[in-house]
Amino acid sequence: MIRAALCIAGKDLTLVCRRGAALPQSFLLGLLLIFIFSLSGAPGEQVSAQAAAAVFWLSALFCQVLIFNALYALEEDDGQRDLLLLLPCPAQSVWLGKALAGLLLLLAAQAVFAPALVLFLDQSLEGSAAEGLLLLLLADLGLAALGSLLGALAQGQASRESLLSIIIFPLLLPLLLAAIRIGAGVLSGRGEGAAEWFRVLIAFDAVFAAAGLVLFGALYGARE
Amino acid sequence: MKETSRRFILAPALLCGPLLAAGQLLVIFFAPLEESMGLIQKIFYLHLPLAWWGLFSFFLAFICGILYLLRRAPFWDVLGEAAAGTGLLLAALALLTGAVWARVAWNTWWTWDPRLSTTLIMCFIYAACLLARRLAAGPERRAVLSSVLWIIAFLDVPLVFFSARLWPQTIHPQVLTNARAGGLEPEMQATLFFCLAAFGVFWAALLTLRCRLGLLDQALEKAAGDARAPND
Repeated sequence: MIRAALCIAGKDLTLVCRRGAALPQSFLLGLLLIFIFSLSGAPGEQVSAQAAAAVFWLSALFCQVLIFNALYALEEDDGQRDLLLLLPCPAQSVWLGKALAGLLLLLAAQAVFAPALVLFLDQSLEGSAAEGLLLLLLADLGLAALGSLLGALAQGQASRESLLSIIIFPLLLPLLLAAIRIGAGVLSGRGEGAAEWFRVLIAFDAVFAAAGLVLFGALYGARE
Repeated sequence: MKETSRRFILAPALLCGPLLAAGQLLVIFFAPLEESMGLIQKIFYLHLPLAWWGLFSFFLAFICGILYLLRRAPFWDVLGEAAAGTGLLLAALALLTGAVWARVAWNTWWTWDPRLSTTLIMCFIYAACLLARRLAAGPERRAVLSSVLWIIAFLDVPLVFFSARLWPQTIHPQVLTNARAGGLEPEMQATLFFCLAAFGVFWAALLTLRCRLGLLDQALEKAAGDARAPND
């Protein structure tokens, strides 16, 4: 299953990077959001660390929706989904493979967004960088697990981008709150109570990784 | 529609009217006035049953989601949708009554309270899920998709509640905790339990009516499919 998942992740990454506008589109949308947010304060006014963390994670969320739409759109035509289902491996490897590919793309996008926070919103890293990296990894794991499950749900639906966002945003609220609180602490250097928020993140990752593993097979295999 | 199932639908629908009216009479004439809040506290007898039955409805949808995925019987799909729809209506009404209460008790329509935020987020999630269900193509895919949604939506509830509780709050809703901490007069308690039961019957009436609609819809869809099939 792991090998099949790695193969699927490799295939998806190659396809998404080589063709289609999904990747640059999602990067640009995130950057634009951060840039436009810099207009929210008066000129010369410092944007608070919490506001900067909030807009960073909102950009990541929009990016996630576009990325998982693109990853599942790859097999939308000509019954290619059936071909993936015919692979001699459990259907969950598709979920895992797409989650892995999505995780790497999200991390790449955030590597672009983080400097934008410094550039447009005048933020600096006052807290611990290790904590920041751990936050990125844990939060992105949750985003990838849920994104990969719901991407399969929206596959082939009319207006799937907006559908995916209205389902995924409220579901992601616990992750978003935790990521914003920890992120604000990392940026400002005053991160009290981060341990409890990390626990929320880990619980979120565990719940939705388990839900993905259990539910994906039924969802991906459902006939119309 | 069979005679027994019609009776099953009619009974709660006919019963809930008098029960709700009796509940209102108890609220107005029997339950004493709360000392600090006065008249506005009486909204509590409406608000709490709505919130509880709403939450129970979401739990029922979660159970229906699991049962559908295990058994694949269309009935669980219909019941799941009915439960989620009814839950959404009751939770939205609970939010509305809560906002009116909050305006008088805390002088604000809205505050970042774990219970409030959780209910609002659940309303968002279930509204989105019901929308997604409308857009799905084909009855089987629609049923699987909704079952998965009912399950993950309910799994999210405790996470939302805990994260909302950790978020720094500006107002401490002591009024709410005091009122719910079991410090109720016996008359208040009796009224509350009566209202809970009356709203339970009201909830059952809504659920069975929606369920019947769903079953009729399903039969119609099947008949239309059968009629089309020979031409395909």
